[in-house]
Amino acid sequence: MQEKKIKNKIIKRVKTNFKDARDRNDFKYNRLDFSVKKEIIPSVLFYLKDEMGFIHLSHISCVDWLEEGELEVVFILWSPEEKIKVFVRTRLDRDNPVMDNLDMIWRQANTYERELREMYGIQFTGLEAPDEFILEDWQGPPPMRRDFDTEAYSNETYFHRPGREDAEDVRETITKRSGEDIPDFAKKYSR
Amino acid sequence: MINDKNSQKIVDFISNWARKHSIWVLGYGTGCGAIEIPPTMTSRYDAERLGIRGAATPRQADVLLITGYLTTKTLKRVIRVYEQMQDPKYVVGFGSCTINGGMYYDSYNTINVLDKYLPVDVYINGCMPRPEAVLSGFGKLQQLIGEGKANGATKYKENLEWYRANQKKVIPNWVMPEYNW
Ligand code: SF4
Repeated sequence: MQEKKIKNKIIKRVKTNFKDARDRNDFKYNRLDFSVKKEIIPSVLFYLKDEMGFIHLSHISCVDWLEEGELEVVFILWSPEEKIKVFVRTRLDRDNPVMDNLDMIWRQANTYERELREMYGIQFTGLEAPDEFILEDWQGPPPMRRDFDTEAYSNETYFHRPGREDAEDVRETITKRSGEDIPDFAKKYSR
Repeated sequence: MINDKNSQKIVDFISNWARKHSIWVLGYGTGCGAIEIPPTMTSRYDAERLGIRGAATPRQADVLLITGYLTTKTLKRVIRVYEQMQDPKYVVGFGSCTINGGMYYDSYNTINVLDKYLPVDVYINGCMPRPEAVLSGFGKLQQLIGEGKANGATKYKENLEWYRANQKKVIPNWVMPEYNW
């Protein structure tokens, strides 16, 4: 009850301050969810951090909406006082994903932004960091996008040992080779 | 004195016998299978009773134990480590990931067949191999060393160009020292 009251208060205050914030807040547990335009992301985050007590940035994640031609960046914030987490989502154009750098709000955002830049190709204007993050000498397209075919890439880049195709049951092969029977208790695991 | 064939044989026999009972292992534990190394080394399975124990640096090690998947990034380091090791040196591929890619066969960043890049003397299969399997793999390695058949390092030196070509295919930015053993 208490929690619900706090949640409603937060929703109301965010919606009065940011008119076009859409919310989807039918969660039973301590979670809130807002979608906003990418231009007002810095002000929403500043507001949540300074005014509402969401001082902890848990994660910045990304969802690839391939069919809609959009990338969705999700900021997950946590309020240690109210024990509520809030998701702030924004959509970017998939062909030209650009948004503002936010590491002056939380310094750790720098790391997440570098990751998103490498894995999804999102450009953060003003981000000061080396180009490479985890992948070294990467020359292909951003690998976490859904239209990147990782199996095809692996097939043409790396060697493959033949023999995977038949997907044999190892247990049967071994018992055949050694002439033993599969014990009863193990039979249920065989294909 | 040891120029004639028979005495060379005796020297080889003795040195192989000595080598096979004192295996110093450099574990390159970036894959998840590395978690089976502590039980193998500690009291339950106690690999040290077979003369297998850990080494601190590549230059002190005999065996490079590669526990699982290698990304192109770690492959670069592994090659460098391997080339720093002194003879005699052996490579043990540990887990399905080194054999055929294992469950990472379609990953964009992990190599699948280790023996195209480094000369593997013994493979231990399993995902992940139990300590028994690890010990049996080392038993096999000891047997090969005793018979003088674990000659991956010689193979590497003889076919260096082929290995280099394969390595450079996945590591485009090749900034590595060239060793002349
Ligand atoms: S073989 Fe299995 S346990 Fe070993 S590194 Fe690969 S996935 Fe991990």
